[in-house]
Amino acid sequence: MPAVATPVRLSAWDCLTPLGDAAATHAALLRGEVALRPTPVLGRAGGDAVPLALLPGRALDETEPPAWHGAVRALLAPVADRPWGTARYPVCVTSSNFGVGSLYAFRHAGAADFVQHGTPHASVAAIARLCGWGENIAVFSHACVSAHLGLMLASRLIAAGAAEEVLVFTYDFLSPFVAGGFHALKILNAQMPAPYAARETGSIGLGDGAAYAVVSRAQGNFAITAQSLHNEMFHFTANQADGAGFAAALAPVAEAARGLRVWLKGHGTGTLEAGRLEAEAMQRAFPAAPLTGWKGSLGHTLGSCGLVELALVLQSLRTGRAPGTVGTVSPTFTDTVATAPFATDGFDGAVCTSNAFGGAHAALFVRHA
Amino acid sequence: MLERAITALHTADPGAEEPGATRARLKESFPAGASRRMTQLGMLVGTLLEALGPRPDDTVVYASRFGESRALEAYLESFPAASPTLFQTSIHPSGVQQGLIVRQRATAEVFPVAGSPAQVAQALLAAMLAPAPRALVCGGEERATWLTEHRAASARTFAFALALGSASSDDRLGRVALAPCGDTGALTLEDWFDLLHTRRGFAGAIAPGWRLTLEWS
Repeated sequence: MPAVATPVRLSAWDCLTPLGDAAATHAALLRGEVALRPTPVLGRAGGDAVPLALLPGRALDETEPPAWHGAVRALLAPVADRPWGTARYPVCVTSSNFGVGSLYAFRHAGAADFVQHGTPHASVAAIARLCGWGENIAVFSHACVSAHLGLMLASRLIAAGAAEEVLVFTYDFLSPFVAGGFHALKILNAQMPAPYAARETGSIGLGDGAAYAVVSRAQGNFAITAQSLHNEMFHFTANQADGAGFAAALAPVAEAARGLRVWLKGHGTGTLEAGRLEAEAMQRAFPAAPLTGWKGSLGHTLGSCGLVELALVLQSLRTGRAPGTVGTVSPTFTDTVATAPFATDGFDGAVCTSNAFGGAHAALFVRHA
Repeated sequence: MLERAITALHTADPGAEEPGATRARLKESFPAGASRRMTQLGMLVGTLLEALGPRPDDTVVYASRFGESRALEAYLESFPAASPTLFQTSIHPSGVQQGLIVRQRATAEVFPVAGSPAQVAQALLAAMLAPAPRALVCGGEERATWLTEHRAASARTFAFALALGSASSDDRLGRVALAPCGDTGALTLEDWFDLLHTRRGFAGAIAPGWRLTLEWS
């Protein structure tokens, strides 16, 4: 059974990456552009150069107030006409970073002003003030599947008749806190990521990202018709070796898409073991479906990747062309990995997946309404 | 109106107990050696959640405003040689994952709810809207040091875990209901904990448009 049986529509959506909004980012990915640049892992404090994708003009070290506030406000401006945060128009905010870059800056630069944006609730409250939202805000943080949780609760609120529309908003902006952490785990290194590529060493990149979607019962040209979650709880940073966790999350969505022609937007960070397990599980669940992923250009936008990349999937469906797995060349883990752009008009819809620390998995199926 | 029966409840209010003392007290609750890397909040939530007997088809909702504050402090202090272990441990929702991972408790849905004025309402909504037959709602905070001084961490350590089942459950300890209303209000996670810990009832708005009724049998 798909976790959400009642389809919901997406009446508005967009994303923000270092390559621009959804339309600009999608166009750049089709051209094979890479936003990642070698950047000192600790910002002003230096360190190894690692692949990071930052908004144009933004430094890795946080400012006070955060320099990205203006970009977030501009991103959300097209949907500012609803009374978000009130009883019938709730907001679901998701992130894995929130304002933790401010907390890092407070600890290492010593300026007390940074603390005011350092906790999740303070960071979200600042955005709510910026955008004029009320207090009916749900805040989810589940590492790299966070955005999927926002979409899931929004869908259930709509299905239950508890909301007219729900704004799902996600944001993750990099800082030495998160870059240093992944560098310490040795998966953020000097190499550029090549998702699903069968090579000697795995590596990821990290990127700034934000996105929103307005979830509605009947408005909009695209529908999410199935969503699924699964948490392996096997290991903090490893998956079950047989790929069972990936399969468990994919099964309900595969059932919902049975008989349909689908393409796949995977998680694909560039790590080897998880990438192989994911690609193989996707191929088993959806034989012959092309698999693509865009973290080789945009980097991993962490808790926001599910919605940032969904916006790019929707742009692909809208324009009829999906970018290939930028940064990856053969050999790949499966022969279904698309290394070049492909047409989407021969397909009924797309399956989108994200994975996270703790063996958390999320999947959804989106199609034209 | 959304309504569920509270079928089990466990709370912990360890006062000023330090993490080391909590570890010594609770380490037997976990597999040998597992508590060594666990946080105070992780041990408390992990112990209470295990007492509910988590099942693979449960929906787990975890609420914490600040999360793993001591690990966050230690991780921030580890720079420039950032600690990979503290990085993992400091990330929300490590507090609920620690106990589930050391016991290999796979779970379909986990909704970690971070802080907002509507946190309690949103945690209960996530639990009550889930299609699972049972939802486990857990959470809490841990007192930190310098983050607490700057109000970026809790001043109090506490934890709770309750099981929500069908409203018609025979074995109910109490009843929780959320109903749409025209009022607005807020209930902090700490106030919610105190209601559970002392088994006091409550009726009132806890978020824009949502009224909570909490009754005990």
